[in-house]
Amino acid sequence: MSRSRSTRALIAVAVSSALLLAGCSAGQTGGGGATEPQTGGTLNYLEHQPHTSLYPPSGGFYPNGGIVNNITDRLVYQNPETLEFEPWIATDWESNDDATEYTFNLRSDVTFSDGTPLDADVVAKNFDLYGLGDPDRALPVSEAINNYERSEVVDADTVKFFFTAPAPGFLQATSTINSGLVSDATLDLSFEGFGPGNSQNIIGSGPFTISGEEIGTRVDLAAREDYAWAPPSWENQGRPYLDGITITVTPEDSVRVGALVSGQADIVRNVEAQDEAQVEVPGYSILAAQTKGVNNGLSLRIGNEKLSDIRVRQAITAGIDRQAVIDTIYSANYPLATSVLSSSAPGYVNTEEYFAYDQAKAKSLLDEAGWVPGADGIRAKDGQKLTLVVNEAAPQPRSFEALTLISQQLAEIGVDLQILKADAGTYAEAILDADQVQIYHSMVGRTDLDVIKSQFYSSNRNVLLNKNNKTGEIVDPKLEELLLAVASTPAPDARIAASQAVQTYLAEQAYQIPLFEEPQVYGQADYVHGFQTESIARPIFSQVWLDR
Amino acid sequence: MRYVLGRIGQALIVLLVAFTAAFVLLQAMPGDAIMIKFENPELGLSQEQIAALRESYGADTPLLTQYVHTLFGFLGGDFGYSIQNGTPVKQLLGAVLPNTLLLAVLGFIAAVVLAVLVALLASLPAFAKVAEFIRALPSLFIAVPVFWLAIVLIQVFSFQLRLVPVINPGPIEGLILPVLTLAVPISAPLAQILIRSIDEVRAQPFIAVVRAKGASPWWILSRNVAKNAMLPTLTMAGVLFGELIAGAVVTETVFGRSGIGRITEQAVTNQDTPVLQAVVIVSAFAFVAINLVVDLLYPVLDPRLARTQGRRA
Repeated sequence: MSRSRSTRALIAVAVSSALLLAGCSAGQTGGGGATEPQTGGTLNYLEHQPHTSLYPPSGGFYPNGGIVNNITDRLVYQNPETLEFEPWIATDWESNDDATEYTFNLRSDVTFSDGTPLDADVVAKNFDLYGLGDPDRALPVSEAINNYERSEVVDADTVKFFFTAPAPGFLQATSTINSGLVSDATLDLSFEGFGPGNSQNIIGSGPFTISGEEIGTRVDLAAREDYAWAPPSWENQGRPYLDGITITVTPEDSVRVGALVSGQADIVRNVEAQDEAQVEVPGYSILAAQTKGVNNGLSLRIGNEKLSDIRVRQAITAGIDRQAVIDTIYSANYPLATSVLSSSAPGYVNTEEYFAYDQAKAKSLLDEAGWVPGADGIRAKDGQKLTLVVNEAAPQPRSFEALTLISQQLAEIGVDLQILKADAGTYAEAILDADQVQIYHSMVGRTDLDVIKSQFYSSNRNVLLNKNNKTGEIVDPKLEELLLAVASTPAPDARIAASQAVQTYLAEQAYQIPLFEEPQVYGQADYVHGFQTESIARPIFSQVWLDR
Repeated sequence: MRYVLGRIGQALIVLLVAFTAAFVLLQAMPGDAIMIKFENPELGLSQEQIAALRESYGADTPLLTQYVHTLFGFLGGDFGYSIQNGTPVKQLLGAVLPNTLLLAVLGFIAAVVLAVLVALLASLPAFAKVAEFIRALPSLFIAVPVFWLAIVLIQVFSFQLRLVPVINPGPIEGLILPVLTLAVPISAPLAQILIRSIDEVRAQPFIAVVRAKGASPWWILSRNVAKNAMLPTLTMAGVLFGELIAGAVVTETVFGRSGIGRITEQAVTNQDTPVLQAVVIVSAFAFVAINLVVDLLYPVLDPRLARTQGRRA
């Protein structure tokens, strides 16, 4: 860890000198000026991590989801702009009033790439696995599906699902990567079978198939020539314009960006905020797609004694200058958060007033709570110092840099914030204990109201540790009730109201400090056309065409 | 013959010790791969679901049982499954081992060439004026971080001069810069030892005799000095294998090459025990094998060593 940190500075020196030259050579790449989509060509796409599994419920990890999104179709399509649902494999659907039964009518002309039909039987088998999991094969339940009971095949193109309790988020769940439909044979694979090295065995009905793989470094996708069942709103209804895509894993940030602007790659994912300027040169552009879920933020663990006092939580909230963090560490593509949820997420309500930066207020709240500044500037009470630990969230952009700045800001009000950097094992243990990690840095993307339950509910991600992992005790039962209401209220308006109640409650209680609305930042060459992302910013390649 | 068998026996003991030490150390680390993978809050699994998964992995069986199971697995050529990816470790290593071997062998050859070049330049009278500078080169080579060197090479030769691509390069193109990156730090200690040995051998009386016979400096250097300076260099070369692996981790990551280094880096991050256990054994095996070869080569290079062993045998 410390190596990568110190070498980063060295790279900056190396890269910035090289950049002076890059500036001169940029601009020579440019489109040929075609306005109609061109068929053909292979796209060079750079990822920064290798995929770990193509089991669709594991699609939350971006490198996994980026592949699953393009090789599988879903029952319904969620339009990334309107967030409305459109037919895809299902032509239409209905559910009962309390959202415990769903019926889907399916297209009858869809086949998997191994030639087997995509019918009601296989759809039922998909959701039985995703909804229930299979511990014997180490295949976990999909996070997107709640209260699943069983499926029923009505006829060859009709399938019905039953739930033990209202599951109003299920329709959206069927549109997510986690519900990518795979063939009958694929569903029989074990956890090992979904791992790298076997990728060509993962058979979907999507616009691309996996045609090659080099473990840990490369995955090749090939267009499916007979693809003809795109969602209605896609401009391209037929086979993908591209012949194929080479996804190459390039872990080093500067190499990804350099490869793009030197013409060796067409699209790169994960352009870091500090590298954006390198891509914003003639011939290239940045695409920052919002993840539209629970914002990147800090969860204050209420089970911890120090944080059980609302005044301490409010003081920490007021002591953080969030705008300064964004201005210093991030870019304009990282909008300041105004609620626990992203402003483009369904059910969003503005709770900005609770997160205002006010150092004087922060200090007086701490005084009131009995925390007195010591000789070293750190406050203490009953001989205990106001020292808190926050985790470095490795998957989140520039987490360490942001937390370092926040810890400097908090030091000004007498709070000592330590950043946990540890090996994976220690880390995995520490973040489950409110007495080891008091503040948890994370985010989650999903465009359904259920997302807020995913993040905070005791048996989901439980980021506040509202449920103590050791004793099983629930610290704040009211929060649990509010979250359950979001996931199990069938009426749409009432569900939105339930989500807003949670957002307001979290803000009032100062449980969560949202930082920014997290994007996925892609860099692309101007001769790449039609590149877009699904509702939580995974790439869609079937509309892409090249003009070079 | 008994000498050879004895050395092989020692090598096997070293491997068993390495295996056991790796097993104990990996178990002693806090947490485990299953925990890291499945207790990740991003999966949102309940404690009961995690417990079921742990059971399906046999993660809670007694350590001794696990040790015996793993050891016999290894003896039978079964390295288990990567917990992070679910891929058989054997398949994982099989896919990347040739890449790393090729990189390491070429990197090592390039390092030897570079070291000999530096040593020769430092020792030839014709370069006496710049000898001090050349003698300082190995220290510089050691000081340059591999990571930084790799980035600079990529920036200059691939992105600016556009001579070789780093993204999806051809098999030969893809080796040029990584081999160079790897060779520089490895060549440094080799060059240092070579230079010192040359100095020492040159100071010995027999050189004066050869010189008195009218041999040219080049003749002396190539025939007499170099031959005698080989032995310590060879010893060093065996030890440098570790350096080679460490260099490969960085080189493979920066260049996005598949190889043992990349796999190791990812396995360390995820505490993927079966992968790490296999990497340790494969590395130990390579290390032991190289040192065995070096040891067996000594008598060939220096007849005096052969005689002492002959007496012992």
